[in-house]
Amino acid sequence: MALADPARRELKAVRWGLLAAALVASPVVAGVVYSAAAATGLAGFGPHGFSTDRLTRVLGEPAVWESLVWTIRTASLATLLASALAVLVAMTFRRSGRVDKLARTLAVLPLPVPHLVAATTAVLLLAQSGLLSRLGFAAGWLAGPADMPPLVYDRAGLGMVLTLAWKELPFLALVATTLLATRGAALEETARGLGAGPWDTFRLVTWPFLWRGLLPPVVAVLAFAAGSYEAAAMLAPSDPLALPLLTLERYTDPDLARRGDAFVLVLVGLMLTGAAVGLHEWVRYRTTELRG
Amino acid sequence: MSGVLSAGRIAGLLGLGLSALLPMVLLAIWSVGDRWFYPALWPSRLTAESWRTLLSGEGRLWAAGATSMLLAAGTGAIACIVALPVGRALARLDGWRGHLGAAMTFLPVAAPPVALATGLQFSFLSLGLGGRPIGVLLAHAVPAVAYVSLYFTGVFTGFDTRVEEEARSLGASAGQTFRFITLPLLRRPLAEGFALGFLISWAQMPLTLLIGGGAVRTLPIEVFAFVEAGQDRIAATGALVLLVPALVALAAARLAARGTEVAAL
Repeated sequence: MALADPARRELKAVRWGLLAAALVASPVVAGVVYSAAAATGLAGFGPHGFSTDRLTRVLGEPAVWESLVWTIRTASLATLLASALAVLVAMTFRRSGRVDKLARTLAVLPLPVPHLVAATTAVLLLAQSGLLSRLGFAAGWLAGPADMPPLVYDRAGLGMVLTLAWKELPFLALVATTLLATRGAALEETARGLGAGPWDTFRLVTWPFLWRGLLPPVVAVLAFAAGSYEAAAMLAPSDPLALPLLTLERYTDPDLARRGDAFVLVLVGLMLTGAAVGLHEWVRYRTTELRG
Repeated sequence: MSGVLSAGRIAGLLGLGLSALLPMVLLAIWSVGDRWFYPALWPSRLTAESWRTLLSGEGRLWAAGATSMLLAAGTGAIACIVALPVGRALARLDGWRGHLGAAMTFLPVAAPPVALATGLQFSFLSLGLGGRPIGVLLAHAVPAVAYVSLYFTGVFTGFDTRVEEEARSLGASAGQTFRFITLPLLRRPLAEGFALGFLISWAQMPLTLLIGGGAVRTLPIEVFAFVEAGQDRIAATGALVLLVPALVALAAARLAARGTEVAAL
């Protein structure tokens, strides 16, 4: 009895823990199940009966693939830019002086700014008649709004990349500075004590340490950026359409037969999320459980 | 402190200052700018009209702000009530099971809101929750519960349960232990969990749009509509109002962190 008791408690803890996680995940699971049924004709709009026609047709559309590539490319560029800036900020302002503290505070300040507010500001700033364009005109570089390189609704998605990167930077900078302040400092001191120069310390100790610590939040932020609706709705071009916009466009199509297409796109979106979440947790598992 | 202000550091500081403060300054100017046509760098007239309308309690922004406030407070409360036991249960998982639990809990946080909303809309409609505030509230609770659960998992990972066991062994009932021991210990995490849930609902747009079906007008929905309509002044006013709870929460978190010594910043 005395031996069985801790084991039983352990089993109970595992059961309750996984049940709790399943409860939290259940809306997503329900969404996946319903979307899979609707994408294969078992539920949703139109006539019923299992068929993979819709799946093959939607996944065979070039517009869908362009949308997917554009969305992933834009989110990746923004995340890359934000990660590089986060590392730069963390390395430049890592000391305990007042200037460093002020810089770190400023870097984290936009953290809770809603995506919608960031996108609204970006429109007012970057549009062809926005403030940047007016400054260009005042400086004599631009002859009018048409001269301003398009940063809003542009195919390259520059305005969107900048806005998403701005929105991601505070979180990544916070993680990077915390990493450096906690374990990073001790590791570097050890390396220097063993005779490593500043460059070798950065290359062999600081950078690998930072990059491993930053990878999980970077994957998370990438998933957020790819799924963001507000920034895409306000800044992204109409061709190619970002995946969240394409999903919504199909879902609200006046042609009821096309509405079901949205569920194929929902499945694609949720499956990509699942992959990102799996990767995120796997990296965390590798770095925390299997360390050393 | 040699080299504290090298050129690179000054440029970095200026860049960060500009990036953090310029958006707010711009929105403030835009919210009072009247007849501000290209290529003017400054509005030809200043007016507090949009702020007066807002503060007089009339107009769409005020109504939307009130709706958003109620939804966000409700979401924060639901998130805390559900996430507290969930986070506690999750924190007891270890090894790969802990990571599996965390991955499952992370799903609603990472799922694209449009995909989540489209996937959920049918069940919400068939339950009669579509186009109603209660439906939007429950939809907002989906990512909020997940977020706050992850937060509470962290809280309970470092939680010493011996003090509860002590109380139980001294004869306290489970309810008394929760009421007099656990709850007071968790006062600050609960406040932070509530703030987190509040902010998730406050900034939420796609779930409101799809589950609310245009009938539930929250502040983000109205701000978006004003931007689309080219009504920059009202849009900027609404955007600034959207910033207020976020900044209050950040300031509160920093004040609280100053009290303890683990301030990471």
